[in-house]
Amino acid sequence: MMRGWAPVATALLFSSQLAGCTTPSDPIELFQLTPESAINRAMQTRLFETSDQTELLSASAAVLQDLGFQVEESVQDVGFLRATKERSARQYGQDIGRFLIFVLSLGHAIIPVDLHQKIAAVLVERPVNPDGTRCEVRIVFYRVIWKGDGHADRQYIPPGEQHMEMLRDAALYQQFFAKLSKAVFLEPFTL
Amino acid sequence: MRRAWWGILAIAGTLFVQGCETPKPTQDLLAPTEAQMKMRSFQTRTFDLEDRHLAMRAVIAALQDLGFIIERANESLGLVTAARFAEPNYYDVVGITVTVRQETKERMMIRANAIHNNKPIEDPKVYQNFFATLERSLFVSKT
Repeated sequence: MMRGWAPVATALLFSSQLAGCTTPSDPIELFQLTPESAINRAMQTRLFETSDQTELLSASAAVLQDLGFQVEESVQDVGFLRATKERSARQYGQDIGRFLIFVLSLGHAIIPVDLHQKIAAVLVERPVNPDGTRCEVRIVFYRVIWKGDGHADRQYIPPGEQHMEMLRDAALYQQFFAKLSKAVFLEPFTL
Repeated sequence: MRRAWWGILAIAGTLFVQGCETPKPTQDLLAPTEAQMKMRSFQTRTFDLEDRHLAMRAVIAALQDLGFIIERANESLGLVTAARFAEPNYYDVVGITVTVRQETKERMMIRANAIHNNKPIEDPKVYQNFFATLERSLFVSKT
C-alpha cells in the first residue's frame, strides 16, 4: 500500500517544482510604475539646453549610425527614431560550458548556444518646458538573441529559439550620451 | 445486417453534411453589444487639453516610463503602438495601441487598447493604471 503512494507523492512533488518555474505574468502589474521605473528613466534620459529639436534628432541618428545602427523608422513630428544592428552573439564562456556538458554527459547532450543577436535602440526626444528651450532625449536599448541547434540524448533541438532582453547596462547609455553631447556641442543634464 | 450498415452510413452522412453547413449570420452580428460599450468606456478617458501634440508626447513618455518599447508613432493620426515583455518572463508580450483624438477645442479623447499574448486585456484595473501613469506624465509635461 505504501509503495503505491510513493510514485504519486514523487509526481506531485515534481509537478509542484515545475509549477514554481513559470511565473505567470499579471498584466495589472505591468501597467504600474515601480521603483525601478524611476531608476531606468534616470539612466535612459538626458536633458539638453537647445530649442533646435530637428538638429538634436538628426545628431542622435548620426550617433546611432556611428555606433553601427541602421535607422529603421523615424517620425520627426514626435521626435521618434528606431534603429537596429545585427551582430554575432557567440561567447567563449558558453562554448566552454557546452563542451563541458558534452564531456560530462558522455556525449549525450549538446546544449544550444547563442548565435546571433539583433540590438535595437528606440529614441524619443521632446521639449520639457513651455518655451521649448530644453529638450529631453530618452533612449532604450534591447536585444533579441537567436540560439543555435543542439542535442538532448537522441532528441534534436532545432536552431532558431529566440529570447529577448532589455539592456540595462548604465555604461552603454553613458557612452551614447557622451557621443551625442559631443555631436551637438552641448553638455547634457541628468534628471 | 447489411441494411443496418446502410442505415449507419446514412446517419453518418447526414451528420457530416450537417457539420458542413455554416451558421447563418444573424442581423445583429455587427451591432454593438453591452460588453463592447463597457470595454470602450473604460478604455477611453477625456482630458482638458488643447494641444494634441503635447498629449501625444505625454502618451509616449508614459509608455516609456512603464518600460514599453515604442514601435510606431503617427502624429497626423494620433496613433502610438508599443509593446513590452512581461518581465521577468520574456515569453509573454504585452502590446498597446493608444489613439489621441481632439474631441472639442478644449477636450482631448485618449483611447488605449491593450493585448496580452494576442488576447485582449479586459480588466478595467489595467486601464486605470495606465491612465494614472498618463495623468502623471501630462502633469509633468504641462509644468
